[in-house]
Amino acid sequence: MVLSGESLRVAVVGLGKMGLLHASILNVLPNVQLTALCEKSVITRIFLKKMFNGTQIVDDVEKLSNLDLDAVYVTTPISSHFPVVSNVYLKKIARNLFVEKTLASNYDKAEELCELAHNFGDVDMVGYMRRFAVTFKKAKDLLGREAMGELVSFKAYAYSSDFLGSKKGSRTPASRGGVLMDLGCHVVDLALWFFGELQVHSAKLTSLIGNGSEDSACFKVKNPDGLEGDFNVSWCVENYRLPQVSLSIKGSEGVMEVNDDVLELKLNSGKSLTWYRHDLHDNVFFWLGGPEYFREDEYFVNSVIEGCNVEPSFYTASKVDQVIGQVRDRAEENE
Amino acid sequence: MSEKREKFLLVGDNPFHAISHLSQERTRIRDDRLTYPEYAADLVVISLENGANGFMFSVSETTLSILRIIRGRGEIERLSLHAIVPYAFEYVRLATQVGGIPGLAKKFAKEIALSGNMRAVAMGLKGVLRADPVSLMKTYLSYEISRIKSSAGKKANLQSVMLHQVITDMALALNLDWLFKSHVDFMLDLGITPGFNTGNFAYLVKKLKELSIDLCKITIAVPFNKVGFQMCPSREECEKTLADIPDDNVVAISVLAAGYLAPSEAIDYIATLPNIKGIAVGVSKEKHANETFKLLKEKLG
Repeated sequence: MVLSGESLRVAVVGLGKMGLLHASILNVLPNVQLTALCEKSVITRIFLKKMFNGTQIVDDVEKLSNLDLDAVYVTTPISSHFPVVSNVYLKKIARNLFVEKTLASNYDKAEELCELAHNFGDVDMVGYMRRFAVTFKKAKDLLGREAMGELVSFKAYAYSSDFLGSKKGSRTPASRGGVLMDLGCHVVDLALWFFGELQVHSAKLTSLIGNGSEDSACFKVKNPDGLEGDFNVSWCVENYRLPQVSLSIKGSEGVMEVNDDVLELKLNSGKSLTWYRHDLHDNVFFWLGGPEYFREDEYFVNSVIEGCNVEPSFYTASKVDQVIGQVRDRAEENE
Repeated sequence: MSEKREKFLLVGDNPFHAISHLSQERTRIRDDRLTYPEYAADLVVISLENGANGFMFSVSETTLSILRIIRGRGEIERLSLHAIVPYAFEYVRLATQVGGIPGLAKKFAKEIALSGNMRAVAMGLKGVLRADPVSLMKTYLSYEISRIKSSAGKKANLQSVMLHQVITDMALALNLDWLFKSHVDFMLDLGITPGFNTGNFAYLVKKLKELSIDLCKITIAVPFNKVGFQMCPSREECEKTLADIPDDNVVAISVLAAGYLAPSEAIDYIATLPNIKGIAVGVSKEKHANETFKLLKEKLG
């Protein structure tokens, strides 16, 4: 699709914090018209109608039909991604979709959505925004240039304090899909991006808050080349005011440590290099919530306009759901 | 010839909330005492003795405790207070824990009802009944101001109340013009300088001019540093906008680029900029408080 002077007509489904964030960024992007917002909460809709002029506010995805939409952002809770995305494709509401991570609540549903995207869609993308963080982009670049020689092993973690001290039995952690879906998926996606296919060999899941919630996970993986990796994921860790994702990668010629803020490369030769965000051209046209969100949305919109393939596509992101599924299976076998 | 006005040399509160924009790892290995209000209050008072004249803070239980301690020591009247609302991080965390924005709204309504601030309760009720976002915003602002005043005391000099970066920039992106106008009008009516904390300085100034908001009556807190860290879309664009505004109404934040720059080189850069009304710097040790504010007083004061 190449626009000729007209704007891309985009709708956002689900106006929680991620929906508001994407709607805001879309509204400052040139070539985008924020055409409609879809939200099921009555009160939120009343306020949205007062606040937005010229944007349709609807309560049901099907009401987005006939709006001649070019793209839809799905930022609802993970459990509703499958029905919402299916509807958008099957009712021919739009052919270009952006879905907040994770693609679906399990691998089977993710595969079905890939099939629908293949049959009814054009550009499809999942919001693994850390791929757009300058430190992780630099790490990917260095790995591509084999800066550390042959890769031997890695350790990865994703921690936050989001539910540290939560009341026992609280239902909120489970309603967010558990720590693997909510936070762990980011580090799994980065590992798949860096190292390719991964198979889970052993796993342990722990419920700290109760009520069946997944609050902590540790698991071991291997890739087809024999690279081994250890993951630790938890949202009940002290002193992680903001969620943090980190990888420590060992190669035959050195070690790389990378997280959201900094990348350090220590080579066996004694050479050591450090890059902070400051060193990696982190500014964007409009800053909201972090520069990676702007880059992610700009990339998706430009890809729709130019009709290019994007990464992470639904297919790529479905592999994260596959790894999470394997973690759950292995954990169950270990119980 | 224009009159030289005393600049605001403000103690920033990021270290007291365990925030580092350079590296989160750094906050984990920092002295735990930083998040203790007594220790933080000591640092504010030491900074005051070395040239600081104000405190810029997000309104949270931690900073309100710091204000209570400084008030208890009889030092509160020496400080100009620059509040940032809401303390977005805490609200995002709460939203995560209580089930999103609807859960957060319920919890917040309960807090206002229990606060005993009848003006806020009445405005809030009106806001809910009429689905009026302006009334709800005023309710919220009244509630936060009453929290500050009950901690800092009636004699405290609440100089400005700024909207947090996330709110300012979201409103900017979504063209919520009513939010800018109502914040400015409401604060001016209360005799408080309205302010905006932003990561999109050039974009904000353009919007405020479009809305005919008098830039001389407001304060804008915005990152300014030698390496252009968090200066969007670019350092050059932010400098150009700064040079074009009609008055000195900018408080420079992130001047050390989150610890990436040494204080002397960071301050040398700020000293070259026009229209800077003040500067906010976080300090995490007594030595930092001494050195940084002495330097600021010498070069900018």
